[in-house]
Amino acid sequence: MSTTERHVPGRAGRGRTVRASGGLLAWRGLDLVTTAVLGVAFGVVFIVWDYALNTPWTGLTSAFPPAGSLALGVWLLPAVAGGLLVRRPGAALLCEMIAALLEFWLGNPWGAGVLVSGLLQGAGAEIGFALLGFRRFGPVAAMLAGAVAAALPVVAYEWWTYSLEYSWPWKLASLGFSVTSGVLLAGLGSWALVRALARAGAIDAFPAGREHLAARG
Amino acid sequence: MTGLLRRTGPLSPLLAGFVLMAGGLTVRDVAGGLAGLAALALAAPFALAGSRVSWLRLLAGVLALASVTWSNWLLASPRELEPALVAGLRVAFFVVPGIVLAAFVDPSELGDHLGQRLRLPARPVLAGVAALQQLDDLGQEWASMARARRVRGLGPDRSPVSQVRFAADLTFSLLVQALRRAERMTVAMEARGYADLARPGPDRARRTWLHPAPWTGADTTLVVLAAAVALVPVLLPLVVPPGS
Amino acid sequence: MKTGMRARVQARGLGWTPLGATSPVLCGIDLEVGPGERVLLAGPSGSGKSTLLRALAGVLEGVEAGDPTGRVTRPEGERVGLLLQDPRDARVADRVGRDVAYGPENAGLPRPEIRERIAWALDAVAFPYGPERLTSALSGGEAQRLALAGVLAARPGLLLLDEPTSMLDDASARRVRDAVLAAVAGTDIALVVVEHRLAPWVGVLDRLVVLGGRGSASPGGLLADGPLEAVLAERGPELLDTGVWVPGAPPPTPIAVPARLVAPRTPPAGDVVVASGAGLVRAPRRRLLGRTRTAPVVALEGVDAVVRAGGLLAVRGPSGAGKSSLVDLLVGLDAPTSGSVGATPALAAGLRPDLARWSSRELAARVGWVPQAAEATIVGSTVRDCLLAGARALRRPEAEAGARAEGLAEILGLTHALDRNPHRLSGGETRRLAVASALVHGPGLLGLDEPTVGQDRHTWAAVAGLAGAAADAGLGVVVSTHDGDLAAHAHDVLTLREGRVA
Repeated sequence: MSTTERHVPGRAGRGRTVRASGGLLAWRGLDLVTTAVLGVAFGVVFIVWDYALNTPWTGLTSAFPPAGSLALGVWLLPAVAGGLLVRRPGAALLCEMIAALLEFWLGNPWGAGVLVSGLLQGAGAEIGFALLGFRRFGPVAAMLAGAVAAALPVVAYEWWTYSLEYSWPWKLASLGFSVTSGVLLAGLGSWALVRALARAGAIDAFPAGREHLAARG
Repeated sequence: MTGLLRRTGPLSPLLAGFVLMAGGLTVRDVAGGLAGLAALALAAPFALAGSRVSWLRLLAGVLALASVTWSNWLLASPRELEPALVAGLRVAFFVVPGIVLAAFVDPSELGDHLGQRLRLPARPVLAGVAALQQLDDLGQEWASMARARRVRGLGPDRSPVSQVRFAADLTFSLLVQALRRAERMTVAMEARGYADLARPGPDRARRTWLHPAPWTGADTTLVVLAAAVALVPVLLPLVVPPGS
Repeated sequence: MKTGMRARVQARGLGWTPLGATSPVLCGIDLEVGPGERVLLAGPSGSGKSTLLRALAGVLEGVEAGDPTGRVTRPEGERVGLLLQDPRDARVADRVGRDVAYGPENAGLPRPEIRERIAWALDAVAFPYGPERLTSALSGGEAQRLALAGVLAARPGLLLLDEPTSMLDDASARRVRDAVLAAVAGTDIALVVVEHRLAPWVGVLDRLVVLGGRGSASPGGLLADGPLEAVLAERGPELLDTGVWVPGAPPPTPIAVPARLVAPRTPPAGDVVVASGAGLVRAPRRRLLGRTRTAPVVALEGVDAVVRAGGLLAVRGPSGAGKSSLVDLLVGLDAPTSGSVGATPALAAGLRPDLARWSSRELAARVGWVPQAAEATIVGSTVRDCLLAGARALRRPEAEAGARAEGLAEILGLTHALDRNPHRLSGGETRRLAVASALVHGPGLLGLDEPTVGQDRHTWAAVAGLAGAAADAGLGVVVSTHDGDLAAHAHDVLTLREGRVA
């Protein structure tokens, strides 16, 4: 007879960061499935956003295209939120890639380009979290992840494809707008989102949920 | 004649998309861009014969190209038409075929191929495939929450602010439902052996797959075809020197 | 447990305290299920039945945060099958064959054997389609039988069923039950079934285990464990108190709700909403992924219906007969594609009659609605906010609405939860909250879609009480239901068959 395996959930003290259980790379089934479903749910949100809001937004900002980048943060939410929720290397990338694959299938205007953007956005968020050693997941970490997630695809991809002819000041301006949006919308937005999910009791089995329960006492 | 895309697996259309993207980045002038598009048009029948293409989706790509051309004119210094056109053509070269190719990547087959041919770890691949099955349900959940809010007097009015707030509220509720669902899915999946895939050690069962993931001649042909097309803008300046 | 055989699962001193909870859900549970045993597991809602099944399946600690005690042991190499309430949660692939193959694939079986298992498992549940059928194109009952096939394909020695029929109508439920029984007949599979409604399983299962729940004589422990008929005979009244549907017991008495808590602000008189020759063709729905598209569905055709003020109209009929669609039309969620559905001046109060085109606030002021998936109506960050959301959107006086909300919460046993997050409620509590939230702001018309499906006796009594009290207070009430006990309280009954009045 074998006893079922058991892991002791990390104990959370008040105000302490709870880290993912069983070591950073010990992905639980729940981590994987939740990250994937979250990616799909964000895909649904993107579809609605694309149909309802993005077209008027693009029209509105066509007089000054870099301002269009201010909405970019919405597309980075899966990466930053996935990383904040699961707190393991790869979560941001997996979540963002699944959302990007959905966009790819559901008829986004950039073809396979969306997969490259998604890959770089996810990787950017991973770099942001890695800079803090996957130890911190507060608002600062979220903003850093959002900033790198926004900057990497602009610098490594968009400057050489969609905005190649922009003059350098404009290239930098569009980078600035992107990073601002990454910091505020994706960074602070994801942080607030994960905190609200913890309050709603939807993520008790994740580190952020345990932190909330510990803080509540 | 049956088009290549009816006989390929899911990996070669993806790879072809990336090959074309690499080729597109080398477009330097209008002539190169037009030659590339012409090559695409010549190659298209071989890939697409017998398949239907969604023109509506292509329209979205055309709009994107217009916005790229426009912004590359507006924000260039000095403002010149030709470089902006080149920017549009460069993006058109990989965006248009990319949108078409996307329809030929079957999500389930992609899972088979990622797991068997690319040997990605099975657990994240399976989580992704399972999560994709929830797409339509989550979409319907969004719709039913929107209906419920309408009857409760919480529907949006015409102002953009109230629309954005409504969308944000629904997004949050959808994520809560998605997380609940993910928990129940995990229970079902773990009980069906998903948990065993994580067990370390030599006695771990190697996962098998119901469907094989072959790379066929059609896959190779498609990638070669894409490479040939992608080389047109690269090679054109060597054959016809720019400015001649 | 039969002598000479090892238990298929054994729990010793099993306990579970969810993280953040002050008292355990499960506590000191000793349970042993041997080969060939057929166990019915019952208990009030929130008594931890699902938690216990998850623990027995060995998946609890992987998905929930909490403190475990004791141990669960199962024989080495033995497989467990776990069937959940909602078959959509078990779906892992786009086609039936792939879905059934999931367990055998994970076990590393060779391809020919996987194919054999698929054919065998689909046959075992009498599945009507082949392996190429899309999993998204199945009815609820078919999807649940597919989920059962997926569980059986792994050849489990222990089969755990968590309310497998509670989301289904009677006919589909019977087919799922028959499939379960056929699959375990003549085998030594140990079977544990969690259900609110015991009657259909009596005579088939031989042992009854009752969980006490937190408020019982043995909080978190077992209230009873013994031969099914004997436990039913000895502990019947006690079981009724826990909310379990004991076979042969009369349906519960709807709770009494004072009229002032549900009365409409402007009580309508006479007819409230009238459908004449109403038809509804649902537009084809494109699946988001893949290139399939559903055919347009004729949901309703030429239906005449009237909802009277002070009357409770029950819409009955088999699954797919158009019950929900008719409620959708009558409460203004959808516009008919033929014929007409109109609010009378008594309800419209100055608006044009086609209520489907009313604005969100105009509709909310006059209509309350709860879908079968009641959680779709949950809003706000506390139960109180959820109750008051409609009243606040309509800018109603806070004091008046607050008094009604608190009164309703007290009657429905939600007072303790007023400041809790509504997403943390149990299924039964969510249902009660949704119905109360639809009534707080005093609409003149109430639509409920299958409000009692899968509910225990307590929530059943609450929902039936609210619906009845609303009608008594002068609202027009329309309820779609395949629950005969609920329909017995209706003043008018309309039976649909294939979209037409039967």
